Amino acid sequence: MGEAILFTLFSVSAVVFSLGMVFRRNAVHCALHLVGVLLSLSGMFVLLHAQFIAAIQILVYAGAIMVLFLFVVMLLNVRGETPLLTPGAAKGFGFLFAFIVFVELLWVVVSQGGSEAEPAPVRVLPPGFGSPAEIGRILYTTWLFPFEVTSILLMIAVVGAVVLAKRKFA
Amino acid sequence: METVGVPTQYYQLVAALLFTIGLVGVLVRRSALIIFMSIELMLNAVNLSFVAFSRQHGQMDGQIFVFFVMAVAAAEAGVGLAIILAVFRHKQSVSLQNMNLLKD
Repeated sequence: MGEAILFTLFSVSAVVFSLGMVFRRNAVHCALHLVGVLLSLSGMFVLLHAQFIAAIQILVYAGAIMVLFLFVVMLLNVRGETPLLTPGAAKGFGFLFAFIVFVELLWVVVSQGGSEAEPAPVRVLPPGFGSPAEIGRILYTTWLFPFEVTSILLMIAVVGAVVLAKRKFA
Repeated sequence: METVGVPTQYYQLVAALLFTIGLVGVLVRRSALIIFMSIELMLNAVNLSFVAFSRQHGQMDGQIFVFFVMAVAAAEAGVGLAIILAVFRHKQSVSLQNMNLLKD
C-alpha cells in the first residue's frame, strides 16, 4: 500500500517536473526542474530495490551533471528565446511525431502482459539485491571488460571537452 | 525480500511518458541547452525502464546497465556542453535556428 502511494507521488512529480522542464522559458528554471525529475526517479529506484543506483543517481546526475549544466547556463547568460518553440510546420510535425512514438510505446507496454514469451515476474528477490556489495561483485566479474572500456570513454571525453573548450580553437 | 505492490507495467508507463516528453523537448525547443536537457530526460526514462525490468526478473544486470548509461551520459554532457560553448563563442547564440551553415 505504501509503495503504491509513494509510486503515485513520485511519478506525478516526475511528469510535472519534466513538463516544466520542456516548457519553461528560463534555462535556469529548466535545469532546476530537471533536478526535480532526477530526484523523483531516484525515489522510484528505491521503490524498485535499487538503493545503490538511487544514491548514484543523486550523486552523479543531480550532483555532478546538473551542476555542469547550470554552470554552462549561467556562464553563457542566455536570454529566454522570444519564440519558445520552433516556428512553422516543424513544431506541429514534432508534436505529431512524439505522439506517434508515445502510442507505439503504449502499445508495447500494454501488450507485453499477454505475451507468451515473457516469463512471470519473480516473487522473491535474491538476498542482497541492489546492495553495493552485490553490484560491485557483478561489475568486477561479469562486466569487467565493459567497465574498463567505460573508463577509456570517460578519459576521451575529458580530453575532448578540454580541447573543444580551449579558446584558440573556437 | 518480497516483491510487492506496483507492477512493472506501471513503471514502464511512466518511463514511456517521460521519454515522450523528452522527445517533445528535443523536437520543438529551439535552445540547444534545453535540447540537451531533454536528451538527459530521455536517458533517465530508459534507466527507469531498465531498473523496473531488473526487479521483474530478479537479476541485477539491468542495474549494471544503468551504470553504463550514466557514464555515457556524463561523457556526452561534458563534450556536448563544450561544443555548445564553442558554438556560442562563434555565434553569440545557442538557438539552433542560427546554426544553418550547411543548410543554405
